[in-house]
Amino acid sequence: MKLRFILALWAAKLSQPLLKITGHKGTNFPGELALKLCPEFLRYIAKPARIVAVTGTDGKTSVTNLICDMLEASGQRVLSNRAGANTNAGVATCLLSGATIFNRTKFDVAALEVDERSAARVYPYVKPQLIAVTNLFRDSIMRNGHPEFIASFLTANLPAGSKLVLNADDLISSSVAPDNPRVYFGLDRLPTDVTDCVNRLNDLRICPKCAGKLEYEYRRYHHIGRARCVDCGFRSPDYDYEGKDVDLANMTMTVADKSGSQTYRLLSDSIFNIYNLLTAVAVLREMGMDHQTIAGLAEKIDIVSSRFQAEKVGQVEVVMQMAKDRNALACSRAFDYVASRPGEKEILLMMNNLSDEVEWSENVCWLYDCDFEFLNNEQITHIVTTGPRGKDYNLRLRLAGVPEERISWARKEMDAADKLYLRPGSSVYILYGADNRSLDMAFRVREKVVKLAEEAGK
Amino acid sequence: MKIEVIYPEICNLYGDLMNAEYLARSCGAELVNTGLKEKPRFLSEEIPLVFMGTTTERGQELARDAFAPWLDGLKQRTQAGGLTLLTGNALELFGEYVQEDGNRIPMLGLFPIHAERRMMARYNSLYLGKYGEMDIVGFKSQFSHSYGDNGEGLFTTTRGAGLNPDVKAEGLRWNNLMATYLVGPLTIVNPPFAKELLRLMGVEEPHLEFEEAAMDAYRTRVEEFSDPNRGFTYH
Repeated sequence: MKLRFILALWAAKLSQPLLKITGHKGTNFPGELALKLCPEFLRYIAKPARIVAVTGTDGKTSVTNLICDMLEASGQRVLSNRAGANTNAGVATCLLSGATIFNRTKFDVAALEVDERSAARVYPYVKPQLIAVTNLFRDSIMRNGHPEFIASFLTANLPAGSKLVLNADDLISSSVAPDNPRVYFGLDRLPTDVTDCVNRLNDLRICPKCAGKLEYEYRRYHHIGRARCVDCGFRSPDYDYEGKDVDLANMTMTVADKSGSQTYRLLSDSIFNIYNLLTAVAVLREMGMDHQTIAGLAEKIDIVSSRFQAEKVGQVEVVMQMAKDRNALACSRAFDYVASRPGEKEILLMMNNLSDEVEWSENVCWLYDCDFEFLNNEQITHIVTTGPRGKDYNLRLRLAGVPEERISWARKEMDAADKLYLRPGSSVYILYGADNRSLDMAFRVREKVVKLAEEAGK
Repeated sequence: MKIEVIYPEICNLYGDLMNAEYLARSCGAELVNTGLKEKPRFLSEEIPLVFMGTTTERGQELARDAFAPWLDGLKQRTQAGGLTLLTGNALELFGEYVQEDGNRIPMLGLFPIHAERRMMARYNSLYLGKYGEMDIVGFKSQFSHSYGDNGEGLFTTTRGAGLNPDVKAEGLRWNNLMATYLVGPLTIVNPPFAKELLRLMGVEEPHLEFEEAAMDAYRTRVEEFSDPNRGFTYH
């Protein structure tokens, strides 16, 4: 087996410069090759002494990036799969890139994003000291089915010794792997919280223990909040790391734990990004960093521009906002956020999964779990739907109450840009999906929108 | 006029609930929800449509236990021609049992079928079939298939799996009790079928909300799914 591993290591190592020369950067081919040549490659590949993994439906890329950025800013050598995939092949590619040809690691710590469904193929060989689970919601119905299934899958596959950093405001993910050591983070009541669910997607409508009625002390969105069962008393866990005093005017939040509290600069005013920061702080605290150090590091970092990017072009603001395709939760959160932004807005809806269109035809069930109703907002004056599923978006928007006169449609994405009004003082939000084909298309459309906005501003 | 949604607190996956909402909005019906601890309204009231959607594996057992006392009432309703629509794995509740890893989980036994569940082998497919002369399009996303005698089923498969990948008859039908493995917005992506359901509910001249936009999307999808070069399963 060892000889097989050495051959796999060298062959995969050799493939990396070849891929660079041929312009195939950022693929998982090296990891795939290594796993093909040696199925237990992940067991033998050298790993940093400290490993932290991040998993969960929403926010795992952002949290991994935050952890990675802050650790790097602290001077540590951090290995991360931020540029690659989060499957076993992606993790293999990442660890491969961090090892020498003599199989020695070049890094102090690894921050790995791990897809929930890859748990069974990663964790038998990679044993993180810490695993953060951001949350569990309904995700791609093809891969993930439903969150109850994913929770039981994680329970079966998370390494027994890993300490879990869990979201106390999520009664689904906070219940995974009950025998593992754990700490909880959570966000105290916000002025915008409610008690009843206003979202279509609500993955926990009954007590997970006794099927009794759940009552929410406060609910942030969907099933996220603090709840208790009126029948059996089951309730949300207490916070070990409590985010509180969120001040959006000054863009700060306090994080308190048993050792004290600290004010942190917020990187974004969206609640899901506040959760992402809180998760990263909890992980770094568990890694032994003090609050003051983490807060200092948080000053030096920003949100990855592939997820959110705003730019003033002429008299128009052009905003790129990722709204993960086939994911009702991610799109609902993005819609809610965009609708809550001040000022007149146009939206270009292009969350089509273009890779699916090559393989088959995108399953659109998620549209009816998703809160398109947030887009029925007077400040959203115009929505352009486009791509292979543009007609489905059009119908969904109509059912959400968006008046017909506010909706335009263009089959081709590049033509959709021409439909925008680009009124002075307004913002254009381009909502796009996460698969590689869609990302590429979204940034090409953005270029065209920028060009049109520049011309309009002359 | 009322549409009764059975156990929406658990039978709510994949946008299935929108089926009942769309029909209700299209005919002005009142949508009434019946929870796990409640007696279904159709037992004592005139309910033109009863709907139950997809649920989790735990949800199936909760729904089975909750519904068992009312099964005879459903039989009577069906014998009398009452309309009931079951989507996704709600279909399996009315079979004899679900088999998983050597365990046999009893179900309500209304139909002589059983399901075989494999949690690590999720089946995802597009669906193209017929309801009479009507084209039906849809999506399958499931951990199990069912086996046994489903007669002519609800739909006749053109492309995709029937009750299981080896048969053409999709779903179950007994009078106006209709069950299909298709998940999600079945009525929205199939406006002609939605109108047929409204007719069966007693709506004389059914018209759907945003029917033109729905028909436009439907025609595009029928064309897509009929294209032999288009992939049909998700890997």
